Amino acid sequence: MSAYPAYLAKRLVQFALVVFIGVNLAFVITHASPIDPVEQSISAVTSFGSTAPEAIAAMRTSLQELYGLTGTLGEQYLTFWSRVLRGDFGPSLSAFPTPVSALIGRALPWTAGLLIVSTMITWVLGNLLGGLAGYYQRNRMLKLMGVVAMGVHPIPYYIVALLLLIVFGFLWPVLPITGGSAMNLQQGWNWPFVSSVLLHSILPALSLILIGLGSWFLGMRSLVSNVVTEDYVVYAEIAGLDSRRVLGSYVMRNALAPQVTGLAMSLGGIFNGAVITEKVFGYPGVGTLLVDAVYAGDYGLVLGVTTVSIIAVSVGVLVIDLLYPLIDPRVELR
Amino acid sequence: MLLSPVPATAQGIPQNIPRKELLILENPEGTIKNAGWFNIWAINAGSQSNGLQQAALDTLWYIDPEKGLDGAWDNSLAADKPVYNADFTEMQVKLRRGLFWSDGVEFTSADVKATVDTQIKNPGMRFSAVLANNVASVETPDAETVIFKLKKPNSRFHTNFTVRWGAIWILPKHVFEKVEDPAKFDFNKPISLGAYTLHSFDPDGKWYIWQLRDDWQRTSLGRHGKPGPKYLAYIDPGPPDKRVIAQLNHELDVIHDIAPEGMFTLAKQDKGTRAWFKGFPYGHPDPTLPAVIFNTQNEYLKNRDVRWALALMIDVKAVTMAAYRGAATISAIAVPPTGIHPEAYHKPMEAWLKDFEIDTGKSKIKPYDPTVGKQIADMLRPSMGDQIPSDPAVIANSFGLGWWKPNVAAAGELLTRAGFRKQGNQWLTPDGKPFVVRLMVEGDLRPVMTRAGTMIVQQWKQAGIDARIDVAQGTLLTRRAAGDFDAFIGWSVETWGGHQDLSYFMDSWHSQFVAQPGQPQPLRNWQRWSHPQLDKIIEDIRKIGFDDPKGVELGRDYVKLMTSEMPIIPLMAYNVFTAMDQTYWKGYPTADDPYANPVTNWGNSRYMFVRLKPAN
Repeated sequence: MSAYPAYLAKRLVQFALVVFIGVNLAFVITHASPIDPVEQSISAVTSFGSTAPEAIAAMRTSLQELYGLTGTLGEQYLTFWSRVLRGDFGPSLSAFPTPVSALIGRALPWTAGLLIVSTMITWVLGNLLGGLAGYYQRNRMLKLMGVVAMGVHPIPYYIVALLLLIVFGFLWPVLPITGGSAMNLQQGWNWPFVSSVLLHSILPALSLILIGLGSWFLGMRSLVSNVVTEDYVVYAEIAGLDSRRVLGSYVMRNALAPQVTGLAMSLGGIFNGAVITEKVFGYPGVGTLLVDAVYAGDYGLVLGVTTVSIIAVSVGVLVIDLLYPLIDPRVELR
Repeated sequence: MLLSPVPATAQGIPQNIPRKELLILENPEGTIKNAGWFNIWAINAGSQSNGLQQAALDTLWYIDPEKGLDGAWDNSLAADKPVYNADFTEMQVKLRRGLFWSDGVEFTSADVKATVDTQIKNPGMRFSAVLANNVASVETPDAETVIFKLKKPNSRFHTNFTVRWGAIWILPKHVFEKVEDPAKFDFNKPISLGAYTLHSFDPDGKWYIWQLRDDWQRTSLGRHGKPGPKYLAYIDPGPPDKRVIAQLNHELDVIHDIAPEGMFTLAKQDKGTRAWFKGFPYGHPDPTLPAVIFNTQNEYLKNRDVRWALALMIDVKAVTMAAYRGAATISAIAVPPTGIHPEAYHKPMEAWLKDFEIDTGKSKIKPYDPTVGKQIADMLRPSMGDQIPSDPAVIANSFGLGWWKPNVAAAGELLTRAGFRKQGNQWLTPDGKPFVVRLMVEGDLRPVMTRAGTMIVQQWKQAGIDARIDVAQGTLLTRRAAGDFDAFIGWSVETWGGHQDLSYFMDSWHSQFVAQPGQPQPLRNWQRWSHPQLDKIIEDIRKIGFDDPKGVELGRDYVKLMTSEMPIIPLMAYNVFTAMDQTYWKGYPTADDPYANPVTNWGNSRYMFVRLKPAN
């Protein structure tokens, strides 16, 4: 482990570089957008009535100053980085002057709550069942699960979501089909609100679990199918070890490493929000925020969400990379 | 327990409020990012169609796009119509007395003055520019009199304080005078001048609930009677399919708009659902005019013959079928067939349209076919049966009068005269290149218009034009302003509907405001078209009063000019499929009783509150 400090330093530099490049790319891409936030605002304002052209010209100038879009691109770039380093993404242009951080702060708990729980459920169930299916390859029930997983896996997410909406929202209307909670409830740690949140999360969570399960299941089954042919597993079986011990200590543990990496990246990706899920189920969250921000040309908000996401995914990968050498002796430090 | 059989749909109904006292309406703005902002005078500050402008705010006058409760014009906070001096440099307003803000403070002329002064002093506010450009000063000789001294003659200044969809709403002086930066003040909780006040709202922006004021008689709406619903909920019910489900489950009383197919489903499955028209075509015709809008700064589209040729290649029957499944009200002239306009413009101009002639260079044709509306009705009757009216007057009201007869041969003659030539089935420009026309559409943000555009492109292709669909999605506003298109489907004509005056959109069409290529074009002249005759009409309108009968004559001159020049190809009214569930409430505005615009985001929709009564 003497090489670990050097490895740590190298990975931290890589991490900083990845974040720097990623955030710069986000800046370039958002500023290359053909959508002009000033024109979007002017259009919204003038929909009220007949505004004289000279008044619109004056408004355009005011808005450009107000939104901080008057400087050169280089000046805007420096302002942006100085804000990022302070953890301040400035005001949202489409919800001016509400700070971007306030909008993200409001949306993030919804997204994180839904995605963390559904991702963990999906990961645990998918790996458990996939591992069993890979080990007990003659079990009919597990074989059937494999067939179902193969069948469900390629179905586009929105089809599954719409099916759930139709079944539980219309044909057998027992579950709410949009929103995060019922109307006119006081948000907080009170049972009417908490139970309503749980109820409203069932369909979006179920849609994510149904689609995600197949991927983890098939991945784990494939990994386990390879591991069971390894010499040490064959020797363990020949030695007469209990099959549950072989499965748990020898097979699953060794097959799980890539899945843990996948989990870390999935959890990091949570900060993107599940865009389609939030749109289909009208769920309040970061995904909806991001899409609306793109359509509104809201640079600040898009940059805020993407920067948080880039940092989150990078942190997830970094943590896994740093932990791997400590938990898996097969990983060689270079 | 979580799966207990509660009714599904949107987010259910608001908890702890009796359903029989509650009207649930769609907020078409969807989920509101900064839900806690109610300062409508700040730009981009929160929602405005969440009940704020419909239930809580007020201003001097309203013009309903339909007939109104007591005429389309309504003196709201004002006691009477505006009075201008001879040269339109001064506007005097007498206010109603006995009106109060929801916190008990009386409304006076000081509030009107504060509305103007506050915005002029803060350039970042919504109406700052328009007020700064127009107003020299505001005088308030007494609590019920306001005198606007204008910087230059403006016979239409009052329209800034006249609700069409929205307007400059009056702000409470006693609140805003204590605020350090009015542009960054959230106005939460809002003080109301309307009949309702905020009850509660979702911090995540999904719903807003408003409660009838105990002193509703002390508001301008009070003189029309007591509003029926004690509570109003403006909600985001989600996309069209969910709106349909919600209304089928009687948990969304008024849908702002859905696709035609959704409307047909509701009409078929829910006998309690009522739309503007009792049967086909259901939708409420907005006082806007979807059209093929040319960029007349395009080298080839500068030529009137080319624009007319493209018009004669269109079969509007197929376009209405593609866009609205036939549920459209067509218009051959550049005024929407809405509100007062059929009587003021469409019907009086029928004779002129029938005689209107085009000289193609090789022949003279009369392109107007007065029977197209009837043809659409006849075409739909076999499949829609009794839903299609048979009374010619009702057909004209529902489907429109006439349109241009497709005439590809005449179109070819016009193109030939413009220097184009045909090679095989392909039209070439005068310099020998394929004649490319990109028709910009919004995409799935406005599917009905996108479908219309796709059909028109197909028809142009069949006639030999290299026409292409150009899907703009969210970039439309930016590209439209920049003139980055050959043609697009949208509207540059927006009228009052309930009033014949056309200056609302026409003034910004004056050549003094037409932008140079590449520069942003001021509002509502996206075609970037100017014409000396049009300038003359606009200048004449500026010199007369809003209600002067001469305005209609000038409006008809405008129609004739637009018809002969064809800078936009008028298609139809923008039909809004507002669906109203009669399970809990009755008395909605309809084509049979057109006392208000039913569309939920319009300020005028407040008038329906006083006519709604519990169904049981």
